[in-house]
Amino acid sequence: MIMQLHDVTFSYRNTKEKTIQHLSMEMEKGEILTILGQSGSGKSTVLRLIAGLEVPEAGMITINGSTMFDQKTFVQPENRGVGMVFQDYALFPHMTVAGNIKFGLKKMKRAEHDERLASVIELVGLKGFEKRYPHELSGGQQQRVALARAMAPNPSIILFDEPFSNLDADLQIKIRDELRTILKKAGITSIFVTHDQADARAIADRVILMENGHILKTGTPDLILC
Amino acid sequence: MNVIRFIRLHVNSWSIMSIIFTLLILSPALSIFFQIFEKPNENWAHIQEFLLKNYIQNTLMIVFFTGLFSILIGVSLAWFVTAYRFPLRRFFKWGLILPLAIPPYIGAYTYHGIVNYTGVLQSTLRNEFNITANPAYFDIMNIPGAIFIFTIFLYPYVYIITRAYLEQQSASLIENARLLGSGPLELFFRVIMPISRTAIIGGASLVILEVLNDYGVVSYFGIQVITTAIFQAWFGMSDVASAIKLAGMLMAIVFLILFLEKVLRGRKQYSYSNAKVRPLEPISLSREKTILLFGYVMFIFTAGFLIPFVQLFQWMMMTYEKVVSPDFLQLIFNSVYVSLISAFIIMIIALVIGNFIRLSDSPWSKAVSRVTVLGYSIPGAVIAIGVLTFFLWLDRHLNTVYTALGIDAPIILSLGLGMLIFAYVSRFLAIGFNPVDAGFDKIGRSFTEASRLLGTSLMRTFFKVDLPMIRGAVFGGFTLVFIEVMKELPLTLLLQPFNFYTLSTKAFQYANDEAVHEAALASMLIILISGLSIFVFHAVLEKEKK
Ligand SMILES: Nc1ncnc2c1ncn2[C@@H]1O[C@H](COP(=O)(O)OP(=O)(O)O)[C@@H](O)[C@H]1O
Ligand SMILES: [Mg+2]
Repeated sequence: MIMQLHDVTFSYRNTKEKTIQHLSMEMEKGEILTILGQSGSGKSTVLRLIAGLEVPEAGMITINGSTMFDQKTFVQPENRGVGMVFQDYALFPHMTVAGNIKFGLKKMKRAEHDERLASVIELVGLKGFEKRYPHELSGGQQQRVALARAMAPNPSIILFDEPFSNLDADLQIKIRDELRTILKKAGITSIFVTHDQADARAIADRVILMENGHILKTGTPDLILC
Repeated sequence: MNVIRFIRLHVNSWSIMSIIFTLLILSPALSIFFQIFEKPNENWAHIQEFLLKNYIQNTLMIVFFTGLFSILIGVSLAWFVTAYRFPLRRFFKWGLILPLAIPPYIGAYTYHGIVNYTGVLQSTLRNEFNITANPAYFDIMNIPGAIFIFTIFLYPYVYIITRAYLEQQSASLIENARLLGSGPLELFFRVIMPISRTAIIGGASLVILEVLNDYGVVSYFGIQVITTAIFQAWFGMSDVASAIKLAGMLMAIVFLILFLEKVLRGRKQYSYSNAKVRPLEPISLSREKTILLFGYVMFIFTAGFLIPFVQLFQWMMMTYEKVVSPDFLQLIFNSVYVSLISAFIIMIIALVIGNFIRLSDSPWSKAVSRVTVLGYSIPGAVIAIGVLTFFLWLDRHLNTVYTALGIDAPIILSLGLGMLIFAYVSRFLAIGFNPVDAGFDKIGRSFTEASRLLGTSLMRTFFKVDLPMIRGAVFGGFTLVFIEVMKELPLTLLLQPFNFYTLSTKAFQYANDEAVHEAALASMLIILISGLSIFVFHAVLEKEKK
């Protein structure tokens, strides 16, 4: 088990109802999980809790065998080894593609930076774009930079929040399939959040269906999506 | 809530520094607040019985009429520039802001220099036309004169905000009113004024706060208002207690104005609607009306900028050889020095507090941001008295420490430059904070979150990601603060150390010593720098908004 949430409860400040209620889930190494649910059901919040961007009220979170959160512990996001691809990519506009990708490599030796850069660039198929700035790239290319940046430090798990919503329909399908190939090839554990059933079917090993802050059901795509 | 949980969530270096800074910023106001209720002395009884009513009456009269005339002039100009075609319209659109570059105290002694007995106006009448007019006709050193000065140099606040508002209004609104048979006057008073209400009130309250802040104009004209009374109590009678009570009173008036602004504005904020509306196109008028319109606009521009500027220029040419000296260079150095240090400190505090507010969901963050911008509403003289009493209190307590430690050459804080800079920071923090806040607002939180998920601490993220992304806003804020400090008068007059002058206090001193011509060079420098501020504000900050 690479990641586990146990009985996690959370609400945003100034909200009365619990945004996440008694949520438990687990993931195996290399698994691709999709969280499917309507807008407002709490999918993004689950990702933010795993990443450490929000602090649960109760429950327990473990990643890679170490406790990230319980009554006594809270590990800051920068120490969790979790990568994230944001909906709007959040590429640093003042850095080049190479700068963005190398940003998370502080723990590696300097000499290894260029090697790692070259290998992830190769993986996402962006060779030759290293010197460009984010605004000089297309939407699809920006997304691949975001993926490369999240992958570069070798995180235990990568989280994707509606990664296809900013792309037009043709590109969406192409990138979706590409992404699954890349992730499987690199053996990366990942969670995708989406409200689109087709996305979930195409990419997931397993699907979690969410509603109002709790899990409705979970299973293989064929079982859940009929 | 669990205390440990609360601490873990909300206590970090940013929040601790923010709270400390906020308390420091608040200390002058608190200092006044705690001492305001102390037992009054004899002098205060005298002030209260014989003088106070007059101070308050004069203050309110100047505030009321300046507010009224600024609204009439500012709104009418905004409307004309937006709605009608006339010669040089594009130039005036920006040119009508220029009077703001002339601080009212400079305007005051320049106008007095023009109309007094030896001034260009009366001497021309005497020498060219052989008319010796009754000098009383030319006396502007009275309340109406002060109202004229304030209005003509401060109306741009109303003009700028109202014009920006009108430019975003849909053309159909105005066209409908026209189709329904409204004449131009009716259109102006029944449609334009009411729909621009929030903008007008916003601009007018800026004008009023500037008037309440002023010391230069009223003291030069010899008008008794609360600010001048504070100076007299402090410098004339060394009566700290009364100065504090007067400062408290002035602060109460400021809060009243801020409260009125909130109430009058209603719940509506400036509505910058995002809907794509058809903007208002200016229309042409008949020949006679166009000439009238142009005449009016030209008159305001001439009175508010051209006349004082040309006169100062001429005086400057007359006297610069005499004025420029090592002492004058020292003056420039002093001004630049305190302005740079203050701007630097302010931007650091603004960044710390701005970042704290942005990242924190804690209940204090709102309070902190309110306090941060409060200083700018509080008149300089009030802040100065607050800072003075705060530092005197510090000195008293440090003195005991010095004695206990046996140090015999103590540093007396209330005599140093540090106190002046502290007061600048307290008063102008809002000016540096607002652009930083807007900048952070624009970039949002996702870049910071992305950086942290890539293994970068909050502090490192700030330097590698957040700061580079808002550097435009930081630069803009720095420049604006720098300029505000350069121009500042009342606070500097009260707190400048012995034998330390800035450009503005020296210019004011020249003018007070009947050496108005010698004040011209320093005044001109201040005006040029202020003009730059207007440029920076519009060029850099407008770009930042988009
Ligand atoms: N920062 C926030 N503050 C308060 N409420 C929020 C915040 N973010 C999300 N919410 C609320 O929490 C609920 C779940 O939101 P979210 O996790 O973003 O849903 P989803 O990603 O499934 O669309 C929604 O009702 C939303 O309005
Ligand atoms: Mg979401």
